[in-house]
Amino acid sequence: MYRKFLSLLKNLTVSLEKGINVLTTQEHNPLYFHGAIPLYIFWFLIFSGILLWMYYIPTLERAWSSVNYISALPVIEKGGVNLTDPSSGIPYGSIIRGIHRYGAAGMMIATILHMLRVYFTDRHRSWRWIPWISGVALLVLVLFVGITGYLLVWDNRAYALTVWTQAFIVAIPIVGVGLSNFFIGGQGITDYTITRFFFFHIGGASLIFFLMWWHFIRLKYPVVTPSRSTNFLVLGFILVAAGAIPAINITEELVSKYPSLTDQVAYVASDAPATIGTIVTNVRYDVWYMFPYYLIEKLGVTGAWWILGVSTLLLIVAPFYPKDRRDNIAEVIEAKCTGCTFCSLDCPFEAITMQERGPGSKFKLIAVVQEARCSECGICVGACPFQAIELPNMDSKAIDGDVLALLKQGT
Amino acid sequence: MTSINQEPTTPVSIESKPKVVVGFVCERSIPIQEMINQQRALSDDPNVKIVILPCSGMVKPSQMELALAQGADATFVCGCAMGDCHYRTGNIMIKERLEGERNPKLRKSTDRTKVGMFFFTMKDKRPFLEALAKFKASAIKS
Repeated sequence: MYRKFLSLLKNLTVSLEKGINVLTTQEHNPLYFHGAIPLYIFWFLIFSGILLWMYYIPTLERAWSSVNYISALPVIEKGGVNLTDPSSGIPYGSIIRGIHRYGAAGMMIATILHMLRVYFTDRHRSWRWIPWISGVALLVLVLFVGITGYLLVWDNRAYALTVWTQAFIVAIPIVGVGLSNFFIGGQGITDYTITRFFFFHIGGASLIFFLMWWHFIRLKYPVVTPSRSTNFLVLGFILVAAGAIPAINITEELVSKYPSLTDQVAYVASDAPATIGTIVTNVRYDVWYMFPYYLIEKLGVTGAWWILGVSTLLLIVAPFYPKDRRDNIAEVIEAKCTGCTFCSLDCPFEAITMQERGPGSKFKLIAVVQEARCSECGICVGACPFQAIELPNMDSKAIDGDVLALLKQGT
Repeated sequence: MTSINQEPTTPVSIESKPKVVVGFVCERSIPIQEMINQQRALSDDPNVKIVILPCSGMVKPSQMELALAQGADATFVCGCAMGDCHYRTGNIMIKERLEGERNPKLRKSTDRTKVGMFFFTMKDKRPFLEALAKFKASAIKS
């Protein structure tokens, strides 16, 4: 039943991609770079983040105003329409903030699409458990970094999110209160809170690199760069969005003077500066990063813990079910192996290591298959010039025999 | 009006024995199981014999050379769409081996015009058959 479901998902995905192949050809199909796109966006986030960092001041008093200083735009009127002028103030500061804002949304969207595509094509199971589990950890980390990014602006919404996050953490038995204090950097909200958030944001982003290493450790040739056309497409989306709907801070002055403009930017904009002790009622949730808070509001802290906990648990167990029959794992024929390393170089899942042979052999190395990592694909068999590594259910001799039999049989 | 019994204008060669093609096909690329008959030949073209493998990367260039040496008029490999190999790099590996960029390579003496490679998804039955017909026409003519 579950296998049928997976097969249906694969059919749907391949049908969609076949349609895209007609438009783009296989080489440029953006969906074939689903894993590289989040990483590509991540570089833009780092670059724009470093630029924002130069002006950002992590204190209660000045966090909001420093962000506002970067992105505030003078409003100009053209043909009765209110427009913003990105070349004033810090030149193109709003564009840089926009790249960071839209890039963050893009990274989450691309990460989720990557995860769904991997799941839909049944490439998450068995020997692929390390990329999958590290991917789940990366997803949680991207969510964490994104949320802390929203906190750094220190507007009304950031304050509300901080209070709800504390409530969420306090619900953890025994260590909850301690963790909550750790989260805000003390007993109450002070300058240290913003510094702590700043550390979480940048520390978390740095941790992404460590998890990427874990994510790639079992992949011999990970795809880390999308095709050039995909690069332009993704960058184009981010830049057009950053220019068309600027990510700015909404001030009272802006609301009173240009109500239509503030409506336009409302979804991506930040609120007025936070007032400690006052939680605003109409918080605008960013779909990609703030769904946990939506759950907290609708279901309460316990309900949110249940939903988030169970979904994470399901993601963690996904690669271990259903189990495949593992009866065709590559075997090395010791007498024939010359230690040439071709199989080890070509194995896509790092399942073959070269080990020293003992004394008495005329060859230095021998290939050794690590069974748990073997995908039974046979790429090592194709790589071996000496018929020294074989899939037991289908060895090279049998294939040669097949070829001869087919040719003999005539038409 | 041309009669159906009319003599063909070009005389058929006396030794026109059917041209046989051996294909090595990845089981996850085109829907090969539903495309072959009991003799493991393509239902649409019984002169095309098929060896099914778990991945196109498992094909040894020497097996394609063997097929040609043993009487096949052409040989080809068919893997998943480029960028979408189920095992990540199988199709890239065989492509590079046949193009002489990765060991073990196709021998230099092998007639390249008789060696084809195709990369299609499981939904590409029709485009595959069209590409194969084109390949066959050019490979067998030469």
